[in-house]
Amino acid sequence: MPQVMVVARNFMDMVAALPAAKLDMLYDSAFICEAVLRSLPPLAKKYALQMLYVSAPVAAAAMEEWVLDEYAAKHRVAIDRLLQLRVFVEVRDRRKEVSYKMNQKFQGNMQKYLVDGGSLPREPIPSSVTARLPTLAELESFALEQWECFLLQLINSSQVERGTSFSSSMMRTFQRGLLSSRDGEAPRLTENGFQFLLMETNAQLWYIMREYISSAEERGVDPTELISFLLELSFHTLGEAYSLNTLTDVQRNAIRDLAELGLVKLQQGRKDSWFIPTKLATNLSASLSDSSSNKEGFVVVETNFRMYAYSTSRLHCEILRLFSRVEYQLPNLIVGSITKESLYGAFENGITAEQIISFLQQNAHPRVADKIPAVPENVTDQIRLWETDRNRVDMTLSHLYEDFPSKDMFDQCCDYARDHGCLLWEDAKKMRLIVRVEFHSEMREFLRRLR
Amino acid sequence: MVAFCSPKSRNMVNAIKGLFISCDVPMAQFIVNLNASMPASDKFILHMLDPTHMFVQPHVAEMIRGKISEFRDQNSYEKPT
Repeated sequence: MPQVMVVARNFMDMVAALPAAKLDMLYDSAFICEAVLRSLPPLAKKYALQMLYVSAPVAAAAMEEWVLDEYAAKHRVAIDRLLQLRVFVEVRDRRKEVSYKMNQKFQGNMQKYLVDGGSLPREPIPSSVTARLPTLAELESFALEQWECFLLQLINSSQVERGTSFSSSMMRTFQRGLLSSRDGEAPRLTENGFQFLLMETNAQLWYIMREYISSAEERGVDPTELISFLLELSFHTLGEAYSLNTLTDVQRNAIRDLAELGLVKLQQGRKDSWFIPTKLATNLSASLSDSSSNKEGFVVVETNFRMYAYSTSRLHCEILRLFSRVEYQLPNLIVGSITKESLYGAFENGITAEQIISFLQQNAHPRVADKIPAVPENVTDQIRLWETDRNRVDMTLSHLYEDFPSKDMFDQCCDYARDHGCLLWEDAKKMRLIVRVEFHSEMREFLRRLR
Repeated sequence: MVAFCSPKSRNMVNAIKGLFISCDVPMAQFIVNLNASMPASDKFILHMLDPTHMFVQPHVAEMIRGKISEFRDQNSYEKPT
């Protein structure tokens, strides 16, 4: 199975990675055009708006004059982004000079948008049909519970405990990179799985979404349709009900999967079924502009390595248990301590000191979040020291060469290995040298030539 | 051992595969002591290069890490749950 990199990445990078034909297909939808426009860096936004009513190509050289010389780098970044997302298309004339032209579909949709105004992807169901909908607070509570349940399933899977069962497509998404499952063994968290748990919620959400979309083709689903729907979803109104009847089969299946994550809530009426977007779903658009939602922290770390987490969440307790010793678990307070032994457990699972420190800082309780530093320096320093203590011995597979017939030959070999960055050790007196193991064949060849 | 030429040739250079270890002095002493405590057939240090570097058998990486880990655990106390 290919190694999955746990990197928090912008959803638009995924859109940009689509082949040109599929990207153009995406731009059939005005909502996606709007979402893409929102996601652009400021200068790229300006260029897109500037080109909105220009149908002829504009020479690249002419565009460079739109900015002062000192902003050439930002200009380059903006243009690259517009080309990656195919908002701009490169055109070469007879003299092979580069010009940029706006994507016709994108341009057409955005022009229409400006003239006619925006509309919702679909109309909400009238309240006479839905009767009582959950309040925003209830919806937020549902989303959080569902999301935590999903993450607890990840932890429970590695602890061979019973948990809520999830659909196979969601578990498969997890298994791709976060859980390893060998035949006959219970699934266990991989290094990536442990790192994933310490990531910020939006980053986790994007990771899951990216895996969900990447694995779509395995399920016989077109990724473009999924991406299209997810972008559309971020334009739905929080807390409003939308009928399932308006969805395609692919979209309906996606909605059921998203409900398990807490992005939407499903409800059944007498005749109709509907879904209600939660904050997690509408946050998809917040993530599009790279601003993460500001969640309140819950952790206080003291200089004596004691830790107090003001949380009712079982998930928080399990996450803290990854790197600390949890001593008391009270209804709304988790008391623990950061110990060398608990940290070594974390290090062995592939969690790094920086990830732990970052987690503690990002989740600092409001009472300490504004302090400098939010986590006492003696604690963060000690966490780093304990990590380096684990790496006191450096081992490199290598070859040792000895019994050189002459000093001259020895020196030439040293220089050769050093020039290639493979020299680990040399002893001029005893005429011994040590090189990296991968350099052995080249060294042998070099010696043969010297003879 | 890999010999590039016949023993008769004056250009013979020996190449030995192994692990090059870099560490601090106390850890080096720990490894030397570990080597000394092994029976002759299990000794693994091929060359002691200097107080912080050594060249050892290629297969002993996990064993050494395990012993270091064990040593560290012996110097730790974990309060019972």
